[in-house]
Amino acid sequence: MSTTIEEDAQESDVEGAAEEKPEARVGLRYTLSQLKRDPTAKVGGYIIAFFAVIATIAFIDTNVLAWFGQQYWIAETFWVNPVNDPATTQILRPPLGLTNDLHPGNPGDWNHVLGTDHRGRDILVRLFYGTRIAMMVGIVATGIGTVAGVIVGAVAGYYGGWVDDALMRAVEVLYAIPFLVLVIAFMVAFGRNLVFAMIGVGIRTIPVFARLIRSEVLSVREEDYVEAARASGVTNWKLIQRHIIPNSFAPVLVQATLQIGINILVIAGLSFLGFGAQPPTASWGQMLSKSRGYMLPAPWFSVWPGIAILLAVIGFNLLGDGLRDALDPRIQNR
Amino acid sequence: MGRATYTIRRLLQGIPVMFGVVVITFLLTEAMPGDPVSIMLGPSPSLQQAAEIRAQYGLDQPVHIRFGKYIWNLLQGDLGRSLYYDVPVTTKIIERLPVTMLLIGASFVFGTITAIPLGVISAKRRNKPVDHISRVVALIGVSTPSFWIGLILIIVFAFHSQSIPWLPEFPATGLVLPWADPATIDGASSRYDVIARSLEHLALPTLSLGTLRMAAFTRIERSSMLEVLNQEYVKLARAYGVRERTILRKHAFHNAQLPLITIMGLQLTASLGGAVLTETVFEINGMGRLIITAVNNQDYYLVMGTTLMFGVVFVVGVIVVDLLYAYIDPRVSYEGGD
Repeated sequence: MSTTIEEDAQESDVEGAAEEKPEARVGLRYTLSQLKRDPTAKVGGYIIAFFAVIATIAFIDTNVLAWFGQQYWIAETFWVNPVNDPATTQILRPPLGLTNDLHPGNPGDWNHVLGTDHRGRDILVRLFYGTRIAMMVGIVATGIGTVAGVIVGAVAGYYGGWVDDALMRAVEVLYAIPFLVLVIAFMVAFGRNLVFAMIGVGIRTIPVFARLIRSEVLSVREEDYVEAARASGVTNWKLIQRHIIPNSFAPVLVQATLQIGINILVIAGLSFLGFGAQPPTASWGQMLSKSRGYMLPAPWFSVWPGIAILLAVIGFNLLGDGLRDALDPRIQNR
Repeated sequence: MGRATYTIRRLLQGIPVMFGVVVITFLLTEAMPGDPVSIMLGPSPSLQQAAEIRAQYGLDQPVHIRFGKYIWNLLQGDLGRSLYYDVPVTTKIIERLPVTMLLIGASFVFGTITAIPLGVISAKRRNKPVDHISRVVALIGVSTPSFWIGLILIIVFAFHSQSIPWLPEFPATGLVLPWADPATIDGASSRYDVIARSLEHLALPTLSLGTLRMAAFTRIERSSMLEVLNQEYVKLARAYGVRERTILRKHAFHNAQLPLITIMGLQLTASLGGAVLTETVFEINGMGRLIITAVNNQDYYLVMGTTLMFGVVFVVGVIVVDLLYAYIDPRVSYEGGD
């Protein structure tokens, strides 16, 4: 895969010098231009950007302002209950324009566009704060898994022999235990909070990247330029770092983007089971878990967080697919 | 190497993985905080009572001795005794495993019978409206949390089905095994009743767990059909004037199924994890809920036993996939080693 890119690059460089400059088929600029041409990838990018902005605002609101002493009234609770008056707080308000049995003759209004939850908190605002958790955990956990997986895979693939055998068997073991089960056992052992959720999900992501990078390395290892570098006395570690990992970068980037989506799903599942962010911190999965008690009077309570998860994951899937098409010319137009 | 030797070799290769699973789960349960004895006996047991329980379950011994004992017992098929249920772990697993396997089996059947036609039509009518629709459906399918689908299905088909007259109502909780004794099921007099009841109960959980399978299988089926349809021999067949339907049925379809089988093996662990969520949503007493109960109650042996069982199902699944592969595609030689 990477060899084609490499050769294409060399070819186009030579041709480019001779005639008028054809578009180089590698590099960030080319990838971006390809992505811009791909409408689905664009949609994915916009969705992620949208969630990223919301997550950033929510992050600033809950963390930065809190550092400056502006604590609870502006963070979370203020937004959650703008009126901040128990007498006027209304639980399970319907969304805009709808009515339910709890509030007869009083349809939902602009104050709570998506309605309120079982404590009278605005669902839209809770979703915003949930975005923060989903994006943070999705990206950090995938980051942990990617870095660790790339190192494990590169070492295994490059050295081969018993190193390869040992590492790959270990990875296989991680793979054999279902995602949720492993992370839950991990969290119970070390701590039932978000930090260990991220580490646990990250660890369970290692096999995906280790296998991917190993197979890439196995094909890159025999390339002439790697042989040449080795012959000229470049150390093993430097070879891995300088040549092997960068040349396997494209598939890793694609897989990482897709994996963020998968990990958001897993974290939502963990929170749903009570193993993610702990209340009162809002997270999508936990909102869904709470909504189970109110499915008859307030079905919308179960609908919104699911749509948020769905949208975020679709965003990463679309972008990942787009990246794959942009980075690997061979599978274009498939 | 013959087929039998190959099978045995693959089975032997599963042993290190199983051992690794045992080690990992043992270490994790070892690291779990809290004292299982206090969970069994309440917050303030008498010292003597506690010591008796410890001795009875072997908890008073050092780690390596307990690990050795666990492995020794494991080799004899003894997974230890559940601290929470106070029955052998194997009893609990034998009781719960069929439920989960039924659920997963149903979701795979649903996934396969919907995905194959969708994928084939999609590939055949590439970039036509049908293709776009099926791709969007598959994209949404892989992006939707299965437990959320479950919640929505419960809302629509169990809680609010009265508001829409033509909507059938489905039970939202529990599961009936089709092979259960009719006498134990309320209002069922014959095998037929039990099976009908079982299907009714299976409908929503299967949809919930099966949507992701359907979506993942559809994507694979589509891209592998496209790849096969681009092969030289298909082009040749076309050039000879073989009808498109015959090409699809006789030449392309069979060869396009290998990637689907691979993905099925990989989807097996994913669906075991998904079963944890689906069983929670639909309050089905299967392996998934069992492991949550075990974890929440620090039931060491039950956690280890259930995780090990998940590992076994996975390893066996992967081996079955490998064997199927070798069976379907003669090019996959038995001699290839790994």
